[in-house]
Amino acid sequence: MADTEDAGASVSEPLDLVRLSLDEIVFVKLRGDRELKGRLHAYDSHCNLVLGDVEETIYVVEEDDNEQETTRTIKKQEEMLFVRGDSVVLISPQA
Amino acid sequence: MERLSLNESPGNTQQQRQQTQQNALGPQAPMTQSGPPQLPPQMFTTAAQLLDLTDKKLVLVLRDGRKLIGVLRSWDQFANLVLQDTIERIYAGKLYADVPRGIFLVRGENVLLLGEVDLDREDEVPTSVTKAPFEEVFELKKKEDSKRKSSDKKRYTELQALGFEPEHSGEILF
Amino acid sequence: MLFFSFFKTLTNQTVTIELKNDIRIRGILKSVDQYLNIKLDDIEVLDLDKYPHLSSIKNMFIRGSVVRYVMLPRSEVDVGLLEDATRRGE
Repeated sequence: MADTEDAGASVSEPLDLVRLSLDEIVFVKLRGDRELKGRLHAYDSHCNLVLGDVEETIYVVEEDDNEQETTRTIKKQEEMLFVRGDSVVLISPQA
Repeated sequence: MERLSLNESPGNTQQQRQQTQQNALGPQAPMTQSGPPQLPPQMFTTAAQLLDLTDKKLVLVLRDGRKLIGVLRSWDQFANLVLQDTIERIYAGKLYADVPRGIFLVRGENVLLLGEVDLDREDEVPTSVTKAPFEEVFELKKKEDSKRKSSDKKRYTELQALGFEPEHSGEILF
Repeated sequence: MLFFSFFKTLTNQTVTIELKNDIRIRGILKSVDQYLNIKLDDIEVLDLDKYPHLSSIKNMFIRGSVVRYVMLPRSEVDVGLLEDATRRGE
């Protein structure tokens, strides 16, 4: 644990990949049918995050007249968002 | 862990060790005046947050959706709570009903939120709900719950194809 | 500890908390603890009609584990400081 800090830009454990995404746009998939896209400003080992200029996408399922289910998305914007880590499924750097 | 949580003041390991020990003890640690933070650190413990709410009339929402209204008499650092003169308020549709329950000891992990009732505004019942007999509300609630369960199930199967999983598996959380 | 310290710097700011059951509550951040339990003062529940049990409540203690998001005032967040603290692994 002691020396990995000095490794700088190298990736030796999973969250190092997230460190490389600091101040970059990331895609975050969440539990509860939600996705986020925004600029990563902070994270910790629980995957708690702070994102800026976030677009949230919510997936909702609706039943039409023929009892057929269709999926619709709702989009929301937030300027600064803290995300609790236990909802996070994955974090992906956006090229 | 130690290296991460402590700030850069090498040399004085004695003091550092003392600090870590206090951190490990958490909210139970005696509130001594060590460390430099701007605001007194004892303001930022679970205990301090609940201290203000002691002997106040509260609405307690549990993880399974129950709403309890009572007076907070005791608590600890895990947010285990004791409520006195508690009633349970059941909501369904546009109706609600009260059930007297007595004393509650609630395990902290089941607490969702605690709200302090504004005694000046307590009697302002929102126009969206009206009081009804318990049996009536209870029956309606049973129907609502089973309806929600089946629509949740449909939703999950639909969204599973998109790689989602429910946020709170198995719990109603309402 | 990073986010604990971070939220401490936001005390007395107005924030909006979204819970995992979709309730959104706006209020003044009064305190936070190591579990990120949060106390809000002068709260306002958005979409109160759906949550009548939260009417006539002034202050609220929210258990950290039920929080989904905290919406923050951008002007009060120093993103450079946050990124530095994250890199240092605080």
